Amino acid sequence: MTYEEKLASFTSRIDAGEKVEAEDWMPDDFRKGVLKFIEMHANSEIMGALPERECLPAAPSLKRKMSLCAKIQDEVGHSQLLYRVAEDLGKSRDAMYQDLITGKSKFHNVFHYPVHHWGDVAIIGWLIDGAALVTQAALLESSYAPYTRVLKRICSEEQLHLRHGEDITLEMSSGTEKQRAMFQEALDRWWLPIIHFFGPRTVVEKDLLLRWKVKTRTNEDLRQEFLDRYVPKITELGYSLPVPVPFRQDGHWLIRDEDIDWRPLDAIKRNDGPETARRLGARKEMYDTHRWVREALAEPSVRAA
Amino acid sequence: MEVYEVFRRGGHREPFEHCGNVIAPDADLALLLAKECFLRRQEGQHLWVVARSDIHFFSDESLLELAADKSYRFASAYRDVVGKRERAHERVRELQAS
Repeated sequence: MTYEEKLASFTSRIDAGEKVEAEDWMPDDFRKGVLKFIEMHANSEIMGALPERECLPAAPSLKRKMSLCAKIQDEVGHSQLLYRVAEDLGKSRDAMYQDLITGKSKFHNVFHYPVHHWGDVAIIGWLIDGAALVTQAALLESSYAPYTRVLKRICSEEQLHLRHGEDITLEMSSGTEKQRAMFQEALDRWWLPIIHFFGPRTVVEKDLLLRWKVKTRTNEDLRQEFLDRYVPKITELGYSLPVPVPFRQDGHWLIRDEDIDWRPLDAIKRNDGPETARRLGARKEMYDTHRWVREALAEPSVRAA
Repeated sequence: MEVYEVFRRGGHREPFEHCGNVIAPDADLALLLAKECFLRRQEGQHLWVVARSDIHFFSDESLLELAADKSYRFASAYRDVVGKRERAHERVRELQAS
């Protein structure tokens, strides 16, 4: 079979809704695109553990500290599952880790921002995990089958994180005016990054991953689902939303494209976000200080000696 | 002859599931026997056989139990969300009234 014939048969398989396995033939652009996408997801999970880790000392009780620890453990666990899926596409974990800590690869915008207090944990757990769940649930139907199988577990754990985040949000919202002010202050800082989280409008005709059904929905479609689901919940709790302010029209909560300032996201894409350098530095330091663990695991006989 | 455990996957979304075992002199024949025993009616799209001697397991299953109270790992720990939501809404009304 020529390359063109293989490509035609691959494309018709995708169009028929069939799924692709790691061992199947796939076009190079598909392999590279899926690898980059899953690698970015894995990077985001492991970098996403850091902001919440920084919040651990702010936990108001032992119970909250334990549950936040468990959540951070889950996020790191997700990165382990995802790096494994990415590795099967032909890039070693060490190469992915090197590219992460040297700033060659990317991680999600929300993890480039600082955390200040326990209100940030409420926002991250409820709204950022809520946003992540909207995007990840859409990927459960992805055409790359090994990804969908790990996403099943990831989504069920994210559901729990969402409950955890909502629980903290509701506790703060039922509390003192100071607690409520903490939540509002965190919401004001996080709202624009959350809107950025979904990305700019998808250029459908240029988006190969959408063409090959690795992604199933456009960025603006996912952002719309998030807004319709969460804006009413936020306003019912008596909080106000900063710019870009959503408005109600035809049964939806909309945000005008021109109201979104994309400059902070552009800086993050250059790995020049407010906390990018410090967090990547922390990851690099862990990579260096944990070298002996990797070496011991690679050579069990040395470990036993 | 060796025992081979047989795993079958219904579709791309499903995980491989253990469905039984066969005895065979080698992996090729084990696959053939497994296909005849467990996949005569297209019950799956993929089949694996694994020599039982290559499977590793915990000899003490109590090692899989939680070592302490880790109820916060379960959704049931957050079951009272409806009540908490109502309390938060009540608090908003209270603040708006004052």
